[in-house]
Amino acid sequence: MNPLVGYLSIAVVVLSTVLIGFFGLRISRTTGDFYVASRTVRPWWNASAIGGEYLSAASVLGIAGLILLRGEAALWFPIGYTAGYLMLLLFVAAPLRRSGAYTIPDFTQARLESLPVRRVTSVLVIVIGWFYIVPQLQGAALTVGITTGLPRWIGAVAVALIVGVVVAAGGMRSITFVQAFQFWLKLTALAVPVVALLVVVRGGGLPVEVALPMPAPTGAAEAYQTGSLLLALLLGTMGLPHVLVRFYTNPDGRAARRTTLIVLGLLSVFYLFPTAFGVLGRFFAPDLAASGDADALVLLLPGRLIPGPVGDLLTALVIAGAFGAFLSTSSGLVVSLAGVVSQELLGGSVRGFRLAAIGSALVPLCVALLTEPSGLAGSVGLVFAFTASTLCPVLLLGIWWRGLTARGAIAGMAVGALTCGGAILTAPWVSSGMLAPLLAQPAAWTVPLATAVVVLVSRADRSRVPRGADRFLARLHIPEPVTERTER
Amino acid sequence: MTAPRTAGRRPLPSNASAGDPSAVYLRSLIRSQLRVALVAAGAFGLLLAATAATLAFVPEVRAATVVGIPIVWIVLGGAVYPVVLLVAILFVRSVDRNEEHYRSLAAEEDA
Repeated sequence: MNPLVGYLSIAVVVLSTVLIGFFGLRISRTTGDFYVASRTVRPWWNASAIGGEYLSAASVLGIAGLILLRGEAALWFPIGYTAGYLMLLLFVAAPLRRSGAYTIPDFTQARLESLPVRRVTSVLVIVIGWFYIVPQLQGAALTVGITTGLPRWIGAVAVALIVGVVVAAGGMRSITFVQAFQFWLKLTALAVPVVALLVVVRGGGLPVEVALPMPAPTGAAEAYQTGSLLLALLLGTMGLPHVLVRFYTNPDGRAARRTTLIVLGLLSVFYLFPTAFGVLGRFFAPDLAASGDADALVLLLPGRLIPGPVGDLLTALVIAGAFGAFLSTSSGLVVSLAGVVSQELLGGSVRGFRLAAIGSALVPLCVALLTEPSGLAGSVGLVFAFTASTLCPVLLLGIWWRGLTARGAIAGMAVGALTCGGAILTAPWVSSGMLAPLLAQPAAWTVPLATAVVVLVSRADRSRVPRGADRFLARLHIPEPVTERTER
Repeated sequence: MTAPRTAGRRPLPSNASAGDPSAVYLRSLIRSQLRVALVAAGAFGLLLAATAATLAFVPEVRAATVVGIPIVWIVLGGAVYPVVLLVAILFVRSVDRNEEHYRSLAAEEDA
């Protein structure tokens, strides 16, 4: 691969991200601006921004890589990522917007009238955010290594620095513009090469019937793993800190639902392309599966099938899309982490937010540099399982069940974190036997377990149901006045 | 012009008892919203499970192809998404209707 293509394309994405970020800086001045763009972002902008933030390294590079490696079973990943937004729409979108809280810890504290709950939620949000940023940085390392030939760590360091500085300088208003731009960049970056590749493949009469026959998923263990993964992806989306914070930028509950509908449409279109990339990869680049760099499939395929300047141009485009993904997801996460950290420890000031933003980018950088990368889609899937086992039950029950208590919430989050986290940490050492699939994909048992603990402990603790529970539920579910909506 | 303004977000009085009409309306709103969400989620889950089971256990379906592409890939790689959208659109319509209904009840009570 021509390293110049890599350098140029990365430079252009970074530069445009920084420019759009600072262009937004001029209109973001108050603390409210910094946190949630003062809740004036329109549905289409907001939906594009949510898509831009959500489509991470796992979606842009990881899905195609996983399809190359595992075939049909990997198709459930994009289905789960998309349907996660369906669950979010069904159960949390409008009520969370109406809650009026800025962050998940704000929500749990207001709902349960308890500071300890806030603390536990904050710790979980921070841990989840860090571990979600790590694969983004590893994706950046892979991309920089493959496309420029530089040492891989440079990619991770560059993304962490850029994101920390842009978020610290611009706040969320500028991030909304950046994110919306990133969605369309990512879509173009995958769609144009896929169409070009399909044209070449059709026109060139290349062997189309060779690689599709794939082993059907066999056995109960594999069925369990697919089901468990799907549950994790469906429920995990609701609890992702960077996803939730964006719902507060909708003007009202109805707009939050409209936005989610648009997001579902955008994601449905987007995921056709990584899938197509993966299928093409099975025909034309099966060697990558053996090389251990399956995640680089999207980056390498255009150059392999289309030689010359056209291929270089398409390669530049996918590199730009991939880099956009690392930047946008990490910056979304850093914004929400910085919001939580600064409110928790630094008094919620603008200066505190800036400090927290830098810190939130540096910690995952250390983790990324010190750990060995595994498949991108797989590591992100585990973060979803952890979120689904900790924050998701508390959010769902907090919105729909008045009987939730602070002790129940804390007990459930602790049990979910310990069982799911423990399973994820021990899984690499258990490679065979009955336990292996249960540890590799823990969501199917940790989510029901955590939920049951929340319900049982809350029941036993019935006398401590928060006094304001009814009033808070009313606020979550009563539609906004018509006049307020039409005046906007 | 004044009535609709207060119709929607009217915080419950702190002493709202079980018999208070506004508390009854609210409880029924929450219940019906949750029902719609559960029905939508359940229908979608069943549909997915049925699709997965069909693809796994009916060899004729697995073997079928459309323009050379196995049907498994067409279903899981593309056809699932319009179904997600359809469920979402039906859900939004029905919760919006519930909210309209709640509004008109609350407005009546105010009048």
